Amino acid sequence: MPSIDLSELQNDLLRSGVAPRHVRRTVMELADHYEDLVERALARGAETDEAHEKACDDLGDLRDVAMAIRAQPELRSWAARFPYIALIVYPLACLVLLPAVPVIVGAAHAGYLARWVLCIFLSGLVTAAMILFLQLSIALS
Amino acid sequence: MVGWLITGMDRAMAQSNPPFMSGVPELLLLRLLDQSEMYGYELVRSIRAATGEAISLGEGVIYPVLHALERNGLLNSRRKAVGGRTRVYYSLTGNGRKRLEELQTDWRRIQGGISNALETPSHA
Repeated sequence: MPSIDLSELQNDLLRSGVAPRHVRRTVMELADHYEDLVERALARGAETDEAHEKACDDLGDLRDVAMAIRAQPELRSWAARFPYIALIVYPLACLVLLPAVPVIVGAAHAGYLARWVLCIFLSGLVTAAMILFLQLSIALS
Repeated sequence: MVGWLITGMDRAMAQSNPPFMSGVPELLLLRLLDQSEMYGYELVRSIRAATGEAISLGEGVIYPVLHALERNGLLNSRRKAVGGRTRVYYSLTGNGRKRLEELQTDWRRIQGGISNALETPSHA
Protein backbone atom coordinates (compact mmCIF):
# COMPACT_ATOMS: atom_id res chain seq x y z
CA MET A 1 0.00 0.00 0.00
CA PRO A 2 1.48 3.37 -0.92
CA SER A 3 2.15 5.73 1.95
CA ILE A 4 3.79 9.05 2.62
CA ASP A 5 7.52 9.19 3.26
CA LEU A 6 8.34 11.83 5.87
CA SER A 7 11.93 10.75 6.45
CA GLU A 8 13.31 13.23 3.93
CA LEU A 9 11.45 16.09 5.62
CA GLN A 10 12.66 14.87 9.01
CA ASN A 11 16.31 14.75 7.92
CA ASP A 12 16.05 18.07 6.14
CA LEU A 13 14.66 19.79 9.26
CA LEU A 14 17.23 18.22 11.57
CA ARG A 15 20.06 19.28 9.25
CA SER A 16 18.61 22.82 9.22
CA GLY A 17 18.92 23.06 12.99
CA VAL A 18 15.24 22.68 13.93
CA ALA A 19 14.89 21.37 17.48
CA PRO A 20 14.49 17.54 17.38
CA ARG A 21 11.37 17.61 19.55
CA HIS A 22 9.65 19.95 17.07
CA VAL A 23 10.74 17.73 14.19
CA ARG A 24 9.40 14.59 15.89
CA ARG A 25 6.12 16.27 16.70
CA THR A 26 5.68 17.75 13.23
CA VAL A 27 6.33 14.38 11.60
CA MET A 28 3.91 12.69 14.00
CA GLU A 29 1.18 15.27 13.34
CA LEU A 30 1.70 15.18 9.58
CA ALA A 31 1.51 11.38 9.53
CA ASP A 32 -1.68 11.50 11.57
CA HIS A 33 -3.12 14.20 9.31
CA TYR A 34 -2.25 12.10 6.28
CA GLU A 35 -4.05 9.09 7.75
CA ASP A 36 -7.13 11.26 8.34
CA LEU A 37 -7.03 12.46 4.73
CA VAL A 38 -6.71 8.90 3.42
CA GLU A 39 -9.63 7.74 5.59
CA ARG A 40 -11.72 10.64 4.35
CA ALA A 41 -10.96 9.89 0.71
CA LEU A 42 -11.71 6.18 1.23
CA ALA A 43 -14.97 7.05 2.95
CA ARG A 44 -15.90 9.09 -0.12
CA GLY A 45 -15.45 6.03 -2.29
CA ALA A 46 -11.93 6.50 -3.63
CA GLU A 47 -9.73 3.49 -4.44
CA THR A 48 -6.72 2.96 -2.14
CA ASP A 49 -4.12 4.37 -4.54
CA GLU A 50 -6.36 7.27 -5.44
CA ALA A 51 -6.99 8.01 -1.74
CA HIS A 52 -3.26 8.17 -1.01
CA GLU A 53 -2.65 10.37 -4.02
CA LYS A 54 -5.45 12.74 -2.95
CA ALA A 55 -4.10 12.80 0.62
CA CYS A 56 -0.62 13.76 -0.64
CA ASP A 57 -2.14 16.56 -2.75
CA ASP A 58 -4.22 17.89 0.15
CA LEU A 59 -1.32 17.79 2.58
CA GLY A 60 0.63 19.98 0.18
CA ASP A 61 4.25 20.14 -0.83
CA LEU A 62 6.43 19.03 2.08
CA ARG A 63 9.10 21.49 0.93
CA ASP A 64 6.64 24.28 1.79
CA VAL A 65 6.18 22.78 5.23
CA ALA A 66 9.96 22.60 5.70
CA MET A 67 10.31 26.21 4.51
CA ALA A 68 7.58 27.38 6.90
CA ILE A 69 9.28 25.62 9.82
CA ARG A 70 12.73 26.94 8.92
CA ALA A 71 11.27 30.46 8.78
CA GLN A 72 10.32 30.24 12.49
CA PRO A 73 13.47 30.99 14.49
CA GLU A 74 11.73 30.02 17.72
CA LEU A 75 11.44 26.41 16.49
CA ARG A 76 15.20 26.03 16.09
CA SER A 77 17.36 24.26 18.65
CA TRP A 78 19.44 26.43 20.97
CA ALA A 79 22.62 25.11 19.36
CA ALA A 80 21.41 26.34 15.96
CA ARG A 81 20.33 29.69 17.38
CA PHE A 82 23.55 30.29 19.31
CA PRO A 83 26.25 28.34 17.41
CA TYR A 84 29.16 30.22 19.01
CA ILE A 85 27.92 29.32 22.47
CA ALA A 86 27.31 25.70 21.48
CA LEU A 87 30.62 25.21 19.67
CA ILE A 88 33.01 27.36 21.72
CA VAL A 89 31.69 28.56 25.07
CA TYR A 90 29.89 25.34 26.07
CA PRO A 91 32.83 22.95 25.42
CA LEU A 92 35.26 25.36 27.11
CA ALA A 93 33.00 25.67 30.13
CA CYS A 94 32.77 21.87 30.30
CA LEU A 95 36.57 21.57 30.15
CA VAL A 96 36.96 24.09 32.96
CA LEU A 97 34.22 22.57 35.11
CA LEU A 98 35.18 18.94 34.57
CA PRO A 99 37.99 18.86 37.23
CA ALA A 100 35.66 20.56 39.68
CA VAL A 101 32.95 17.94 39.33
CA PRO A 102 34.42 15.44 41.88
CA VAL A 103 34.89 18.25 44.42
CA ILE A 104 31.35 19.55 43.89
CA VAL A 105 29.86 16.06 44.07
CA GLY A 106 31.95 15.29 47.15
CA ALA A 107 30.78 18.46 48.88
CA ALA A 108 27.17 17.71 47.96
CA HIS A 109 27.45 14.20 49.46
CA ALA A 110 29.82 15.01 52.32
CA GLY A 111 27.91 12.82 54.80
CA TYR A 112 28.08 9.70 52.63
CA LEU A 113 31.72 10.42 51.81
CA ALA A 114 32.67 10.77 55.49
CA ARG A 115 30.93 7.47 56.36
CA TRP A 116 32.62 5.78 53.42
CA VAL A 117 36.07 7.05 54.49
CA LEU A 118 35.38 5.95 58.07
CA CYS A 119 34.38 2.47 56.89
CA ILE A 120 37.54 2.18 54.77
CA PHE A 121 39.62 3.35 57.74
CA LEU A 122 37.97 0.88 60.12
CA SER A 123 38.31 -2.02 57.69
CA GLY A 124 41.99 -1.11 57.23
CA LEU A 125 42.41 -1.04 61.00
CA VAL A 126 40.80 -4.48 61.39
CA THR A 127 42.97 -5.92 58.60
CA ALA A 128 46.13 -4.42 60.16
CA ALA A 129 45.16 -5.83 63.57
CA MET A 130 44.64 -9.28 62.06
CA ILE A 131 48.00 -9.16 60.26
CA LEU A 132 49.69 -7.98 63.45
CA PHE A 133 48.03 -10.78 65.40
CA LEU A 134 49.23 -13.34 62.83
CA GLN A 135 52.76 -11.90 62.82
CA LEU A 136 52.89 -11.99 66.61
CA SER A 137 51.51 -15.54 66.63
CA ILE A 138 54.24 -16.63 64.21
CA ALA A 139 56.98 -14.73 66.08
CA LEU A 140 55.99 -16.02 69.52
CA SER A 141 55.30 -19.62 68.49
CA MET B 1 15.33 54.95 -6.50
CA VAL B 2 11.85 53.57 -7.33
CA GLY B 3 12.81 50.24 -5.80
CA TRP B 4 13.97 52.01 -2.66
CA LEU B 5 10.68 53.95 -2.49
CA ILE B 6 8.61 50.78 -2.87
CA THR B 7 10.64 48.99 -0.23
CA GLY B 8 10.22 51.94 2.11
CA MET B 9 6.49 52.02 1.43
CA ASP B 10 6.15 48.30 2.10
CA ARG B 11 8.03 48.74 5.35
CA ALA B 12 5.83 51.65 6.37
CA MET B 13 2.68 49.69 5.49
CA ALA B 14 3.97 46.68 7.38
CA GLN B 15 4.58 48.87 10.41
CA SER B 16 1.13 50.50 10.35
CA ASN B 17 -0.78 47.35 9.29
CA PRO B 18 1.28 44.49 10.67
CA PRO B 19 -1.36 41.77 10.64
CA PHE B 20 -2.64 42.39 7.11
CA MET B 21 -2.46 39.20 5.04
CA SER B 22 0.37 37.70 7.04
CA GLY B 23 -1.83 37.57 10.13
CA VAL B 24 -4.78 35.82 8.51
CA PRO B 25 -3.87 32.21 9.40
CA GLU B 26 -3.09 33.29 12.95
CA LEU B 27 -6.41 35.14 13.23
CA LEU B 28 -8.41 32.20 11.87
CA LEU B 29 -6.67 29.66 14.08
CA LEU B 30 -7.10 31.73 17.22
CA ARG B 31 -10.74 32.43 16.39
CA LEU B 32 -11.55 28.74 15.87
CA LEU B 33 -9.63 27.62 18.93
CA ASP B 34 -11.47 30.22 21.01
CA GLN B 35 -14.60 28.12 20.43
CA SER B 36 -13.21 24.70 21.30
CA GLU B 37 -9.97 22.73 21.40
CA MET B 38 -9.08 21.01 18.13
CA TYR B 39 -6.33 19.05 16.44
CA GLY B 40 -4.67 19.97 13.14
CA TYR B 41 -6.88 18.06 10.71
CA GLU B 42 -9.99 19.28 12.49
CA LEU B 43 -8.73 22.87 12.33
CA VAL B 44 -8.10 22.69 8.59
CA ARG B 45 -11.61 21.31 8.00
CA SER B 46 -13.03 24.07 10.22
CA ILE B 47 -11.11 26.78 8.36
CA ARG B 48 -12.48 25.49 5.06
CA ALA B 49 -16.00 25.34 6.44
CA ALA B 50 -15.83 28.71 8.20
CA THR B 51 -14.45 30.53 5.17
CA GLY B 52 -16.71 28.77 2.66
CA GLU B 53 -13.62 27.16 1.07
CA ALA B 54 -12.41 30.69 0.21
CA ILE B 55 -9.12 30.00 1.93
CA SER B 56 -7.41 26.82 0.85
CA LEU B 57 -3.86 26.04 1.80
CA GLY B 58 -1.46 23.12 1.71
CA GLU B 59 -2.76 21.53 4.88
CA GLY B 60 0.66 20.59 6.24
CA VAL B 61 1.72 24.22 6.69
CA ILE B 62 -0.74 24.63 9.55
CA TYR B 63 1.61 22.82 11.94
CA PRO B 64 4.53 25.29 11.87
CA VAL B 65 2.00 28.06 12.58
CA LEU B 66 0.48 26.12 15.48
CA HIS B 67 3.89 25.29 16.94
CA ALA B 68 5.04 28.91 16.73
CA LEU B 69 1.82 30.14 18.38
CA GLU B 70 2.30 27.62 21.15
CA ARG B 71 5.93 28.59 21.55
CA ASN B 72 4.83 32.24 21.86
CA GLY B 73 2.45 31.33 24.67
CA LEU B 74 -0.76 31.88 22.70
CA LEU B 75 -1.77 28.21 22.58
CA ASN B 76 -1.62 25.20 24.86
CA SER B 77 -1.35 21.65 23.56
CA ARG B 78 -2.09 18.28 25.05
CA ARG B 79 -1.77 14.78 23.66
CA LYS B 80 -4.85 12.64 23.63
CA ALA B 81 -5.23 9.01 22.54
CA VAL B 82 -8.16 8.66 20.17
CA GLY B 83 -8.97 5.38 18.41
CA GLY B 84 -5.46 3.99 18.90
CA ARG B 85 -3.82 7.17 17.62
CA THR B 86 -2.24 9.98 19.58
CA ARG B 87 -3.48 13.39 18.58
CA VAL B 88 -2.25 16.80 19.68
CA TYR B 89 -5.15 19.03 20.70
CA TYR B 90 -4.64 22.80 20.81
CA SER B 91 -6.49 25.32 22.95
CA LEU B 92 -6.25 29.06 23.53
CA THR B 93 -4.39 30.60 26.49
CA GLY B 94 -5.19 33.90 28.18
CA ASN B 95 -2.51 35.62 26.08
CA GLY B 96 -4.03 33.96 23.01
CA ARG B 97 -7.40 35.54 23.79
CA LYS B 98 -5.78 38.98 24.14
CA ARG B 99 -3.94 38.47 20.86
CA LEU B 100 -7.19 37.39 19.19
CA GLU B 101 -8.89 40.59 20.33
CA GLU B 102 -6.00 42.67 18.95
CA LEU B 103 -6.04 40.85 15.62
CA GLN B 104 -9.82 41.14 15.31
CA THR B 105 -9.67 44.89 15.99
CA ASP B 106 -6.90 45.36 13.43
CA TRP B 107 -8.65 43.19 10.87
CA ARG B 108 -11.96 45.07 11.24
CA ARG B 109 -10.11 48.38 10.86
CA ILE B 110 -8.43 47.20 7.67
CA GLN B 111 -11.63 45.60 6.37
CA GLY B 112 -13.52 48.86 7.03
CA GLY B 113 -10.86 50.86 5.24
CA ILE B 114 -10.92 48.62 2.20
CA SER B 115 -14.74 48.58 2.11
CA ASN B 116 -14.74 52.38 2.20
CA ALA B 117 -12.21 52.50 -0.61
CA LEU B 118 -14.27 50.07 -2.73
CA GLU B 119 -17.53 51.93 -2.11
CA THR B 120 -16.08 55.37 -2.88
CA PRO B 121 -16.73 56.21 -6.54
CA SER B 122 -13.47 56.36 -8.48
CA HIS B 123 -12.62 59.59 -10.28
CA ALA B 124 -11.25 59.49 -13.80
